[in-house]
Amino acid sequence: MKEKKPKQKINIAILGQPNSGKSTLFNNLTGSNQHIGNWPGKTVEKKKGKFSYNNKDFTIVDLPGSYSLHSCSDEEIITRDYIASGEADIVCIMVDASQMERSMFMLADYVGIKCPTILIINMIDIAEKRGRKIDKDLISKKLNIPVVSMSASDSKDYQSFFDALEKEYKIPDYSSLNTFYEDKIGSKFKEFVELMPKDQNEIFSPFWLAAKIIEGDALTTKIVKSKIEKPVWDKVFILLKNIKNESLKTNIFQKTCPLSTCKECVCSQKIGICKFSWVSEILKNSITKNSDERIYMGRFDRLATHKIWGKPFAFLMMISGLVASFLITMPVLLFIVMKVPHLIAPHINDIMLLFTPNMPWVSALINETIEAIFMAFGIAFFVAGSALVFGFMEEVGYMARISYVFDNTMSKLRLQGKSMMPILMSFGCVISGATSARVIDNWGQRVLTIMMAWLVPCAGTWGVISLFGAAFFGFNTIWVIISLFLCVIILMHITARIFGGKLVKEGSGTGLIIELPPYHKPKWGVLFRFVFNRAGGMFKRAAVFIVAIWLLFWALSYSADGNVNNSIIYKTGHFVEPITIWFGLTWETFTAFLSSMMGKEAALGVLGSVFSSSNANTSDIALQMQQVLSKPEALAFLFAFFFNIPCFATVVVTREETHSWKWTLCMVLYFVSISLVMAKLAYHIGNLIF
Amino acid sequence: MKKINISLIKSKKGDRGYISSIDGDNHLIARITSIGLSIGCEVEIMQNYKKRPVLLYERDTVLAVNREAAKKIMMEKVN
Repeated sequence: MKEKKPKQKINIAILGQPNSGKSTLFNNLTGSNQHIGNWPGKTVEKKKGKFSYNNKDFTIVDLPGSYSLHSCSDEEIITRDYIASGEADIVCIMVDASQMERSMFMLADYVGIKCPTILIINMIDIAEKRGRKIDKDLISKKLNIPVVSMSASDSKDYQSFFDALEKEYKIPDYSSLNTFYEDKIGSKFKEFVELMPKDQNEIFSPFWLAAKIIEGDALTTKIVKSKIEKPVWDKVFILLKNIKNESLKTNIFQKTCPLSTCKECVCSQKIGICKFSWVSEILKNSITKNSDERIYMGRFDRLATHKIWGKPFAFLMMISGLVASFLITMPVLLFIVMKVPHLIAPHINDIMLLFTPNMPWVSALINETIEAIFMAFGIAFFVAGSALVFGFMEEVGYMARISYVFDNTMSKLRLQGKSMMPILMSFGCVISGATSARVIDNWGQRVLTIMMAWLVPCAGTWGVISLFGAAFFGFNTIWVIISLFLCVIILMHITARIFGGKLVKEGSGTGLIIELPPYHKPKWGVLFRFVFNRAGGMFKRAAVFIVAIWLLFWALSYSADGNVNNSIIYKTGHFVEPITIWFGLTWETFTAFLSSMMGKEAALGVLGSVFSSSNANTSDIALQMQQVLSKPEALAFLFAFFFNIPCFATVVVTREETHSWKWTLCMVLYFVSISLVMAKLAYHIGNLIF
Repeated sequence: MKKINISLIKSKKGDRGYISSIDGDNHLIARITSIGLSIGCEVEIMQNYKKRPVLLYERDTVLAVNREAAKKIMMEKVN
């Protein structure tokens, strides 16, 4: 077997199933020496970092968590592409000591790839506490690679890992898995392997490629087809057909089958069974289990998954989560984002007057930019608050329970349990909701979830609704809010009907299949990095876009004498009023409606400035609005505003998360249309009531 | 001991047995296999409420399987 000598700069890749503790190891190794971005063209985080040990430099890549190397999801394809690139000098495969049989599947799926490997058995402390003993030397002997056991959360426990990095690098032995395949698939497996491309430099061995094709992996089939000549491919094709047919006739387990009536199974499943059998073979005699090791549901879990109380409990947890993130963010919003720009504005005016006394718009421009940057900071902070609270729930393992409890409710919208969290987070900020939709591995469901998130009113929307509503309807605003909510639910179903079929194909394995991990203590380091990255990324995006759009809007409503009637926006507004009034929107409310696309709370500012200058008889804006707008017109505005696109930053984020301009624009058009339709309906109903 | 084959969706809390067949496209089989469910694998049902995914215990793991998929997975009961 080919063995590499370590060179001075070594690239490490960490591979492992979700919950195997990859991020913890990555964080503790790299500390602040890490860079987090996205894999090109994908909504999957790319984490790369550096560390040194014993005068050697290491770069380390945390590959996205996936359960196998099958090409079903973006995560898996990225992982495979990265390994195929040959960039990694060594791959560290992490498994959970308490769930060895299951998490070693990743190794079974990996062997046959010609890249040196270290097996890391993580969370050994928890497994040992539960009475499990693991003989890692025996496993190491069977696999012919170094095997390290550790508790990744304890960075003092890394010595054996560093030692393994100093030793010679070895490629895992897969001869015993090959024996399993030849035994279970039949002699044709050997023949099949012979037909695979035999490029010595190729990182995937013929053995690995053969097993993946038999498993039915589309990507591997495509790659192999492109690498071999047509007559050989024809042979492959015929042989594959033979193997499939024969597979149905043979019994996989023979005498060892635990089933009384052994059924034939398709060969793709046989490969999987072989992998698990191989794992059992490797672990045979090397694990001693405690008889009462089995996890039972604790009291908390019984409540969290309870038939009746599960849902109310989940609601309670999520609402507390929202409130908590508000409490974290509010002081910053109120005292920094709202106050500071106004405090420094006069000083900037003074300074600018010295330099450009004849150009008052310069200082106004600077002030607007500052305000916009603070706004971006505020949004980033809000995203940080909710990422902290909801990241915590994910980190301790509670989020999987929420998905479980709401799976059926969500399936009515053609979604799955994992969509619940993004939708709920949107009550705080739709941007947080849209970014958290990436936990959904099916692209179509992710887009549909983001659409639902757009329908959810964010904190900014509530502010405007309650202030504006109270001015017109007083206590009856509550009825307006109830009807808005009913409309949200109805629209969610309508949206699922309209776009569900296109986005989510029936029966394509989109349903929830999720592991409910045991509860564990949060890893604060991992959590804070997650929060920091989310918020930092948000700030960068928001700063650029909000500043640009904010300034554009400001320029449109700017007039030299400060009277809004002389601005471009007023003139345009007046020009289109004959059309907008058909939807019950006057030019004032239509302008506010347009500006709320930049950010919902911007509507208040626009209404304020438009009304305070158009009618100067009284200083009370609420009174002025009542003089100009009728109740049906106010209602029309509320509905138009409520269902309008959440804000421009959300549009940008949605484009980034979906990687589709087409769907993002489609959503923008759809939301503008429904908001106008809702306004029209509300206007007419309002005319009947008032 | 009498052995019967039932779909996971019809199982009851406390049922133990082995997975006897998984019926579905490659995508579904790949997902289910990689998370730990394969033919011959020992399982115990932890919860099965009408409108919830089926909760089961396999290879030291608690797993929630949506009802659509649970319909396609058969187990052979041993108790």
